[in-house]
Amino acid sequence: MGNKHVNAIVVGAGAGGGIVAKELSVAGLTVVLFERGKWATYDDTDTDELISQRTTVLGNAYGPDDLRHRRVIVNADGSTKIVLPSEGGYNNNAACVGSGTVSYGAMAWRFMQEDFKLKTTYGHVEGSTLEDWPFTYEELEPCYEKAEWEIGVSGDDTQNPFAPPRRKPHPMPPFSHNKEAKLLYDAARRLGYHPFPIPMLRNSVPYGGRPACIRMRTCVGFACPVNAKCGTHNTVIPTAIETGNCELRINSIVSEINVNDQGKITGVTYFDDKNRKQTQTADLVIVSASATETARLLLNSKSRFFPNGIGNENDWVGRNLQGHAYTGARGIFEEDIYDDLGPGASVAICDFSHHNPGIMGGGMLCNEFIRMPYLFTGVRPPGEPSWGKRHKEFQRINFKRVGQVQGPYQEIPSFNARVEVDPVVKDFWGIPVVRLSGFRHEKDIEGCKLMSEKAELWLKEAGAVYTWQNVGGGKGLSGGQHQAGTCRMGNDPKTSVTDKYGRVHAVPNLFVADGSLHVSNGGFNPALTIMALGYRVGGYIASEWTKGNRFK
Amino acid sequence: MTKNKIIKRVLFIIPFFLIIFLILFGGFYGYWNSASPDKTCSSCHEIGKSVDSQSKSSHRNLHCKECHGTALSNGIHSLKEKGMMFVNHVKEKDSGNIRPSEEQLLEVMTNCQRCHTSEFADWTSGGHSIDYQHVFLNTKHNSTEQINFDCLRCHGMFFEGTVIDVVEPLNTKGPWKLKDGKRAAMPAIPCMACHQIHQDGLPHSRPDYAGAKSIFYQKQDTGFVAGFYDRHEKIYLPVSQLPQLNLWEGERKVRVSDDPVMRNCVQCHAPNAMHQAGTSDDRTPRGVHEGLSCMACHELHSNDARKSCKSCHPAISNCKLDVTKMNTSYADAKSPNNIHFVACADCHKDGIRRTRN
Amino acid sequence: MTNQIKLNRRRFIALSVVGAGGMCLLSRCANSPLSRWRFLTEQESVLLDALVEQIIPTDEWPGARDAGVTNFIDKQLVGPYARYQETYRKGLSAIRETCKANYQKGFEELNWDEQTLFLKKMEAGKMAGPFWEKGLDRQLFGLIRNHSMQGFYGSPRHGGNKNNVSYKMLKLDYPVIIGQNRYKI
Repeated sequence: MGNKHVNAIVVGAGAGGGIVAKELSVAGLTVVLFERGKWATYDDTDTDELISQRTTVLGNAYGPDDLRHRRVIVNADGSTKIVLPSEGGYNNNAACVGSGTVSYGAMAWRFMQEDFKLKTTYGHVEGSTLEDWPFTYEELEPCYEKAEWEIGVSGDDTQNPFAPPRRKPHPMPPFSHNKEAKLLYDAARRLGYHPFPIPMLRNSVPYGGRPACIRMRTCVGFACPVNAKCGTHNTVIPTAIETGNCELRINSIVSEINVNDQGKITGVTYFDDKNRKQTQTADLVIVSASATETARLLLNSKSRFFPNGIGNENDWVGRNLQGHAYTGARGIFEEDIYDDLGPGASVAICDFSHHNPGIMGGGMLCNEFIRMPYLFTGVRPPGEPSWGKRHKEFQRINFKRVGQVQGPYQEIPSFNARVEVDPVVKDFWGIPVVRLSGFRHEKDIEGCKLMSEKAELWLKEAGAVYTWQNVGGGKGLSGGQHQAGTCRMGNDPKTSVTDKYGRVHAVPNLFVADGSLHVSNGGFNPALTIMALGYRVGGYIASEWTKGNRFK
Repeated sequence: MTKNKIIKRVLFIIPFFLIIFLILFGGFYGYWNSASPDKTCSSCHEIGKSVDSQSKSSHRNLHCKECHGTALSNGIHSLKEKGMMFVNHVKEKDSGNIRPSEEQLLEVMTNCQRCHTSEFADWTSGGHSIDYQHVFLNTKHNSTEQINFDCLRCHGMFFEGTVIDVVEPLNTKGPWKLKDGKRAAMPAIPCMACHQIHQDGLPHSRPDYAGAKSIFYQKQDTGFVAGFYDRHEKIYLPVSQLPQLNLWEGERKVRVSDDPVMRNCVQCHAPNAMHQAGTSDDRTPRGVHEGLSCMACHELHSNDARKSCKSCHPAISNCKLDVTKMNTSYADAKSPNNIHFVACADCHKDGIRRTRN
Repeated sequence: MTNQIKLNRRRFIALSVVGAGGMCLLSRCANSPLSRWRFLTEQESVLLDALVEQIIPTDEWPGARDAGVTNFIDKQLVGPYARYQETYRKGLSAIRETCKANYQKGFEELNWDEQTLFLKKMEAGKMAGPFWEKGLDRQLFGLIRNHSMQGFYGSPRHGGNKNNVSYKMLKLDYPVIIGQNRYKI
């Protein structure tokens, strides 16, 4: 018995893959959407901090599990270490239907115009692979708009003078601020900054047949109890399934992209929900498994035609791994600034995104999501004890008094920060695992320091009586949930993996549609951009298919 | 051996074993159901905790079987269930976390009414006896508001699964149906939603008329018998452990009764995250009734409040208005005298004469 | 055939007797002391109680011991933290032996400041002597510190944070009082 041949295989039902599956199935293509995880529900771990996507000490609520998955990280001294998904070094992204969009904080940022042409804006940087995107913001704008309206975004860009131009407003009004955000909003105005409400992939009013947000304190890192957070799992994936053209295959991990005698991609090999090895054939394969796992799949697909993995003729697959260097400051206020109005982050400024001396790229700064009690045990000014009577006292007095401002600093791509497959270590199914090595570019920390100073200043103006900086961007590997860059788009096949529509160079029927495509990662949370790329890649394939192009 | 001989033998063996079995089982069964829990139920360490809590509860004088039944009280069904308990015990399966299933809980509940007849009758007559079909198949609700995980916080809190396993489809289009039709008439807010049967307490007893301290009005308070079942933690929180509601009307802090039982009510009849009065499911009294407990008007089990007006008005009030003729229902959006929020000015349009400074 | 039946009958009777006997024995379970711990020994649990109490001491609010942190750690050691079993077993034994050698008593019998000093030495990686493998002191201290915080500030379902004690201390409503956005009838 074999699986029925389909038009397209999409690997990974996350932000990118869910959208591609929907675009293709609505256009009439038959699709199999593979997801290594399951349907996640709020009830699995509900508001349990110790098994959330932020604090994974007792496990990852939304996958992957510690029993079957592992990775190898290469330390600064060249030694290696095996890490489990619940450990920090794993650089995990959720493994469930919807992936990170189930448990994310749901910030819905469009990258700025400059983010698409960093090299033009800042020039060549020694030791970096900094490059412009192969297209401009204007070219991606309609896809952003589609993501905002189909998935659902609350926001108001008119309050942000640095926002890139748009044709249509956000479909839902923005969220109101909690006490901390109000203090910061007023302070930003006094400082001459331009504060505005953060756009969110979360319902401020009923939208898409789902209710409005009830403002729980547990949001980032958790699934939504009322289904008010908008992800691919409750929008496009159900739409795709409803067309009757898309089959979602959960608990199925794809191990290899198959190549025939002529060097043509014919489908994939995967392990099904009973761990049986299976084959699925298709006219097209679209990989959207996250920057680490997409690179792993391409690198694991070795054949006579692709001895170093598919798309890897020039050793670019897995290169330029980047996340964000989170940088900012914290401050203690004299009175409680916590009013239990979740999920927290709501006010931002883009005053330090581009065009600031000493800051390359920069990023937005915003107040932080509510910090849960265990996470807060690690939030201390330098010199404060990490245990004992004084630690408990600090926790009791300051849990509701500490404010935090931070932002995702845009990293300069580094060729040596990379994903490889480990020559020895394999996972439960016997598939070689991800091996992570390399470091951030040394320039990042300079900009981070300046950003942290600005954040500290902002907190002081808001009334913080004691402040301290937490400077990001230090020497280390950067991936995490914002992981990107490992299958860079570009016009030159020698210095990129895919073309500007996400098609792997010289492979007519293989596409990538996730953060791997990012040439640079913007100074923003990348979810909406990954979604927009999903619409771009999916839309391109669908329109070509309709015209009769079979990608042969 | 001929076929006949085999049949003869079998015919002889079956009754023989049946008798032996009955003697063994009968003896064991009799012993089990009469001995002290220490010698029987509690000898399995898994339920030692439950037996321990029961021995400190107001139900301490009851034998386990009075509520939990015996291996034969529910026919084959309970025999199988108790058998599985034995198997799980031997296999040490999940031995740290023994909890009654929803089905078992509802079986226990049928035993509540044997003693608490009037409370049970009251509950049956009130809104809290709503069943699964009326909660989850309400067309008007479901087409306006998508059913979601959070529904089970206050309805069907003992259901072992998620809302996806209760009702389908989870959209606002419908038509909706229960995944398991058997659930239709099952209560969605059973006794145990607000009562832990094993909660600390003293059994009711006749007062000692010689000692004044044991007569009801001087008797020591034994605490409240209500609480909230938190389905996420799977723990029961007595009202003394529940947070007090802070409620706001704009910037003004609303006075909320400190009646601990009310802390239980507001867990479900809750305002929005800003704790603004009158939002979401909040019915906390404001206006002329600000500061009153829910229990000031609502009967505990039926939640009936119809008789309550008369007990204060007009005996105490100087309104000279017949409150029994007013439309005070919260269920009617146009009600001019919504009992939960009605203010003096709603009736006294021309203002009220000050009688005091 | 006959033999077979006989055999089965014998076996059946034997089984019946064993079964009935077993059921009677069941009532004796209560008499054998069953540990309330899953991984820890009684001795280890007393020591761990003292250790976690140092990490989160009792003040006007209950400390780690009363919040059930030891129970939390014990429960996780047979669950997600099974990978730390060896470190705990070896490390707790090293603490016990060191105290016996240096003070002639158990860690839990030292006075408060002596205990604090001992833990500070562990934190700094300054334990020496035959009982301490290289790095064990810091590793165990790190585990105890983190696991105490998790047990005390995490969800009570994992065995710690008894009666939501840390949530109360932080003035956080639990269960949170929050309604849904109701449509009006």
